[in-house]
Amino acid sequence: MNILKLSLANLKEKKLNSFLSALLLTLGIGMISLLLLLNKQLDEQFRRNIRGIDMVVGAKGSPLQLILSSIYQIDAPTGNVPLAEVNTLKRNPFVKTVIPLSMGDNYQGYRIVGTTAKYAEHFQAKVISGKLFQESMDVTLGSKVAGILGLKLGDTFASSHGMDAEGEKHGDKKYKVVGIFEATGSVVDQLILTSLSSVWDIHEHAEAGSEAHGDSVHSESSEMPHEEEKQITSALIQFRNPMGLITLPRQINENTSMQAALPSIEINRLFSLLGIGIETLQALALIIISIAGVSVFISLYNSLKERKYEMALMLSMGATRTKLFFMLLMEGLMLAVIGYVAGITISRLGLLLFSKAAEQDFHYSVKEFNLLPEELYLFVAALIIGLLAAALPSLGIYKLNISRTLAEE
Amino acid sequence: MISSKNLQFSYSSQKHFTFPDISCSNNETLLILGQSGKGKTTLLHLLALLLRPQSGEIFLAGSNVTDLSPSEITSVRAKNIGIIFQKAHFAGSLSVMDNILLPNYFGGKKEDREKAVFLAEELGFAEHLSKKTTQLSQGEQQRVSIARALMNNPNVILADEPTSSLDDVNCQKVIELLKKQSALIGASLVVVTHDQRLKDEFANQVHL
Repeated sequence: MNILKLSLANLKEKKLNSFLSALLLTLGIGMISLLLLLNKQLDEQFRRNIRGIDMVVGAKGSPLQLILSSIYQIDAPTGNVPLAEVNTLKRNPFVKTVIPLSMGDNYQGYRIVGTTAKYAEHFQAKVISGKLFQESMDVTLGSKVAGILGLKLGDTFASSHGMDAEGEKHGDKKYKVVGIFEATGSVVDQLILTSLSSVWDIHEHAEAGSEAHGDSVHSESSEMPHEEEKQITSALIQFRNPMGLITLPRQINENTSMQAALPSIEINRLFSLLGIGIETLQALALIIISIAGVSVFISLYNSLKERKYEMALMLSMGATRTKLFFMLLMEGLMLAVIGYVAGITISRLGLLLFSKAAEQDFHYSVKEFNLLPEELYLFVAALIIGLLAAALPSLGIYKLNISRTLAEE
Repeated sequence: MISSKNLQFSYSSQKHFTFPDISCSNNETLLILGQSGKGKTTLLHLLALLLRPQSGEIFLAGSNVTDLSPSEITSVRAKNIGIIFQKAHFAGSLSVMDNILLPNYFGGKKEDREKAVFLAEELGFAEHLSKKTTQLSQGEQQRVSIARALMNNPNVILADEPTSSLDDVNCQKVIELLKKQSALIGASLVVVTHDQRLKDEFANQVHL
C-alpha cells in the first residue's frame, strides 16, 4: 500500500471522469506537439534546400511559384526563358555561379531535371554507385527515387511529359541510369538528374546533332550551337557578394524578359502565411489544455466531496493531512502524465500520417520522431496544470473537520 | 486501558455536555448507554481523540493524552485506538483486503497480510477479501470494520453504535466477535450505544 496505489485505485474507480480529463489533456498536448514537430521539420526542410541559393531567375509570374518549382520542385514551373539571356548573367561581376535547370518531364511522378554537374555539387550530393550523368539521356538518380522505384544501373525508362505520372509518354527515347546519389536529405533525393541536352533532345527531336555536344553544357561554355534558340526553365544564382542582392534583382526584373525571385524573402512570406494558421491552432490547443485543467479540477472537487467521509476515516486511522493531500495531488499528476504520454504518442502518429501524405503528394518526408526540447517544456507545463488543478480542490483536506464528518453520516 | 476525568464539551452555549467519569482496564469491557442527543458520539470522539475536550482529562495506556499536539495525537491514535463506526465506511476504490491493511499503512507499520487473513477467517468473510466493500452485506461490512479496527493491535477499541443497523442474528454475532477479539489482544473494549439488545451482554455499564 502506498500513495501511488491509492491514487491509482481512485482514478480507476472514476473511470469516465479520469478518461475525460486525460482525453482533453491528450488532445491539447498532442496538437501542440504535432504543431511543434511540423513547424520544425517544415522549417528545416525549407531552410536546408535554400542554403546557398541567393536568387532564382525564370519566366515572369509568381515569384513564390518560381521558388517553389525551382528549389523545392513542388509547384509547376512558371515557363521557359532563353538560355542566352541566362548566360549573360554569368558575365555579371556580382554573380558567382549560375546553375541552369530544365524541367518538364517526370518518371512515375518523380521529376526529371536537366541541369549541370554544379547542381549536384551545390547540394553536396555524392554519387555512391555508377557515375554522374554525362552523355545525353544519361541520368543519375536521387537515393529515394532509386530506392522506391527499384531502378538499378543500366536500367532504361521512358519519361512522361509534364509533372504527373499520367502524362503523355516519350516512348521513342529512353533514359539510361548511369549513377545513383547517396542520400543527402535535400531535394536531390527525390529527383532524376540529367544533362540539359537530354531535355532538349527529348523535346526537339529534329535536332539530332546536339547529342554530340552534350558534354559542352558541363563545361559552362557558350559554344553550344544555336544557343540563342535554347530554352531552360530557370536558374539558381549565387552571388559573389551581397551587393548583387541590391542591384541585380531590379535590373533583371526591369530590363529582361525574366523575373528574379529571392528565396529568403519568398520563404519568409510563405511562413508568415502559414504562421497565422499555426498560431490559430496553437491557441485552440491551449484552450483545450485549459479545459482539461478545469476538467481535472471539477472531477477532483466532486470526488473529494463524495469521499469526504473516506478521508475523515483515513485521518482517524492515523493518516496525516499532508499525506492525503499528496494522494489527491498525485491523482492530478498521474492524469497529466497519462495525457502527456498519450498526446506525444498521438502527435507521432499524426506526423506519420502527414509524412505519408506529403510523401505521396510532394515526395517530401518528415522522419524525425525524437522528443523536441520544446516538448520537455510541454511536459513541465502539463505537470503544472495537473498540479494546480489538483491542488486547489485538494487543499480542502486541510479544512476537513474529522469529528463532524464522521458524526454526520 | 482508558479512563477519563471531568470531561466537558460544548458545541454552543445551548449544547453543553458534562460526562460522567469512565474507566476501562485492559481485557475489560464497558457499555455506555444513552438515548440520542445525550452526547454518545461526542463522548466517543473525545475518547478517540478526534475532538479536544473543553476541560477534563483523558488517560490512555497510563499516560495523560489530553494536551498533546495534533501530530502527536494522530500517532497516538494510530497506535493505540481502533474505532468502529455506526455505519461501516470504507475506501470505495479498494478491495476488502486493502481496506483492512489501510491502518497498517497509515499507522506506519508493516503490512500484515497473514493477520488480515486470520481475522477474516475468524470473522467469517475470508472468501470476500478480494471483493469491493460495496459487494458485501451490512453485517459483513461491520465485521470487516471490526477486523480493520484490530489490525494495529490497539490498546483500546471504541465502537460507536456497532449494532444499530443490524438484525438480531447479526447483532449477536458482531458483539460476540467484538468481545472475543478484543479479549484475544487484551484490549479495553468501549461500546457506545442506545441499542437495548446489548444491555445484558456487558457487566460494566455507564448511563448518560
